[in-house]
Amino acid sequence: MGRNNNDGGGGGGMGSTCYVYPAAPATPGIVTPDVVFNRGIDMQIPLTMDDGRTINMWGFTDGGGGGGMGGGGTFPSAPMRINAGTICHTVLTVQGNMWLHTIHHHGIEPADHADGVGHITWDVDGTYTYQWRPMHPGTYFYHCHTNTVLHAEMGMYGALIVDPPEGPGTLVSPSGGNPAVTYDVEAFWVVDEIDSAWHTLPWDAGTCGDDVGLNTLNPDYFVITGVDGSGNSAMNLAPISATVQVGQKLLARYICAGYHPQHIRFGGLEGTVYISDGRELPTPMVATELKAVSAERYDVIFEPTTPGEYIIECDVLDWITQEVLGTVRTNVIVTA
Amino acid sequence: MERRNFLKFSMAGFARAAIGSSTVMVFAPRAHAATISKTFYITEGIVTQITGEDVYYMGYSSSTTALNIPGESFIVQEGDTVDITIVNTLQTPHSFVIDGQVDSGVIDPGTTKTVSFTATGSGSFMYYDKLNAPYNRLCGLHGGMAIMPSGSSNELYPGSLTFVQQQFWIFNDIDPVWNNAVQNGQTPTTPFIPRYFTLNGLAGRPPGAPGSHDPNIDSIYDPRSALHGHIGDRTLVRVMNAGMCQQAVHTHANHMEWLTSNGEIRPDVWKKDIIPLDANGGQIDVIFPFETPPDAWPPVTTGVFPMHLHTEMSQTAGGGFYMFGSMTDIYYE
Repeated sequence: MGRNNNDGGGGGGMGSTCYVYPAAPATPGIVTPDVVFNRGIDMQIPLTMDDGRTINMWGFTDGGGGGGMGGGGTFPSAPMRINAGTICHTVLTVQGNMWLHTIHHHGIEPADHADGVGHITWDVDGTYTYQWRPMHPGTYFYHCHTNTVLHAEMGMYGALIVDPPEGPGTLVSPSGGNPAVTYDVEAFWVVDEIDSAWHTLPWDAGTCGDDVGLNTLNPDYFVITGVDGSGNSAMNLAPISATVQVGQKLLARYICAGYHPQHIRFGGLEGTVYISDGRELPTPMVATELKAVSAERYDVIFEPTTPGEYIIECDVLDWITQEVLGTVRTNVIVTA
Repeated sequence: MERRNFLKFSMAGFARAAIGSSTVMVFAPRAHAATISKTFYITEGIVTQITGEDVYYMGYSSSTTALNIPGESFIVQEGDTVDITIVNTLQTPHSFVIDGQVDSGVIDPGTTKTVSFTATGSGSFMYYDKLNAPYNRLCGLHGGMAIMPSGSSNELYPGSLTFVQQQFWIFNDIDPVWNNAVQNGQTPTTPFIPRYFTLNGLAGRPPGAPGSHDPNIDSIYDPRSALHGHIGDRTLVRVMNAGMCQQAVHTHANHMEWLTSNGEIRPDVWKKDIIPLDANGGQIDVIFPFETPPDAWPPVTTGVFPMHLHTEMSQTAGGGFYMFGSMTDIYYE
C-alpha cells in the first residue's frame, strides 16, 4: 500500500477544494471482525454554551447513518470501546459529493491503509472500512484527519478506550507478580478549547491557500467532554464528574483534546498515573497535577481517603505566551 | 541606511543550499579524540513562501552565497577539540553559542572569529545566535550539534538505549512581520503571530502541490527529516525547537521512546505517541524504534506514516494551506 499517486486535485478538481484525495477502495486483507463501529457524518451539531450562544460543531454519527445535516451526531462523537486483541472494523460513510473526511484512531498503530491520513492514502469518498486490532490497553481517541487543523477543532473526535482482556473495571492486567490495577468508578476529562470564529468555515477552508486564520487559534469557549466547563455545567455531571466512596477507586481518563497546552490540577487529590498514551509507565507516577500538550492522554487512579468535594480544574494555556486563556472545572465527590 | 543587496532564493534554490551533504547519520566512533574544524558564513536573504510572500532570513551557511536554514547539523565525539570559524558577512553583530560548551561573544559586522572548545559530556545541543534575542535565532541563525559518548556509535549517553542511525528534527515558526522588522534593523513591536512552520527549514508539500516529492523543497521527502528504515532500524531523533511555540511531536506507526527533555535524562523511558517540545530552544531526544506497527491486522512490515506536530496550527502556511507546515513522513521499507 503506501503513498497515493493521485494529484490531490491541486488547484482545482473540486471547485474551491485543493489537496484532497477522494477514494474508498476495498480494505486489504479484510477478515470477519469481532467488533464493528459504523460511523457517518454530521456537520450540524448545535452546542449551547453557558452564555446562551449556540456554536455549530461537526462530528461522527453512531450507526453510520446521517445525511450530514443534523444527522444525529454528538459532540464528542460516540466512544469506541473494545478489549485488547479484538479485530475491529470502523466503517466510515462519507457523502463525498459534499465533503470529505477520514477516521484516524489516534495512538492506535495499524497499517497505513487503516491509519486514516488523507495525504498518504485517501480521504473517504463513499464507504471505507478501517481494519485494526488494538494490542495495548489504555485511553485513545479517534478524530478526522482531513484538513485536520479545522476538522478536529470543529469537534470531529470521540474517545477510544481499549480495555485489557478482563474488560471494564481493570486498567492493567496482573503481570510479573504485580496484581491487577482495578477501579470502581470511571470519569472522562476530555478538555478542549473552541475558537468560535472557526465555526462558520466550510469543510475545505484554506485548502487552496486562502488565509482563513488557521494559524491562530484564539479560543473563546472551553469545554470538558462536550460541556462548557467555564462555570458549573460540568459539576455533578457524570461521567465527567464522579462520586466515589472512601475505599473505592476512581479512574480518570484525561485527554488533552485541544491544540493549546493544558495544566490540570486535581483539587487536593493525589492520583497515580499508570498509563499514558496507551503505554504502561515503567514506574507508576504519583501526581497532584499534570501538564499536557495536544493529544496526550493520562490514565490516573485515585484512592481518596477523606470525604469531601474536590474541584478538578484544567487551565488552557497559550502555546506562545503560556498565559491562561481559560479554565474548565468539574468535581469529584468523596463520600464516607 | 545603506541599501543592502539581499540574496534572493526561490524555495528550491534556498533548499538546495540548505541540504548540503548531511542526511541520515551513522557515526563511526574513534578511539582517540580528534580536532574538528568547521566554518560557517553568516548570510542573509529572502525566501519566497508557498503563498508568494517574501520573508527575510539569516543563516549559518556553508558559503558566502548560500543561505542554510538551519545551519548544517554536525556530530562530534566527547573530548574532541572543536574549532568553529564564523565569518560574519552582514552589517550587524552576531554570535555563535552552544550553551554549556562555547560562547563566541560579539562577532562584529564584516569580521571573522574562530572559537575553540572541548566537547564536554554527551547529548544534543542547539547552536544559535544569542544576540538580539530571540530575533536572530528566529530569523534562522540556529542549527544542531551532537556530542557522542566517547568511543560509542549507538548511545545517546553512556548506558542509554541504543540506536543504529540518527537524525535531527529542528522546528521553527516564523512571523514574517518580525523577520522583516529585523531586516530593517528594527525591533519587532507587534505580538508574535506565526504564519509559517518549518522542519529543518522546509515545510510539507502534499501530493499534487508545487514541489511535492522534491527533497529540496518538500519536508516530507527531505532526507534530513524523513525517517527511512526496515524493521529494527532504531533511529535516534534529536528534536529541537528554535521557535516560539510549544509543540506536541506526534508519530504514527510506533510510539517514541522518550529519553531526555531539555538535556535532562528522564528517570524512566516512557513510550509515547505525543511528546511535549518546549519553545525557545526546548529539546527532546527520542528513539523511533521501527518496530512492526503493533495494531495492524493482518500484520505489516512496510508502509508510509506521518510525523507531524499535533499543535495543528503548525500544519498550515499563511493561515490556510493545511499540510504545508511542520511535518515529514516515516517510511517502513
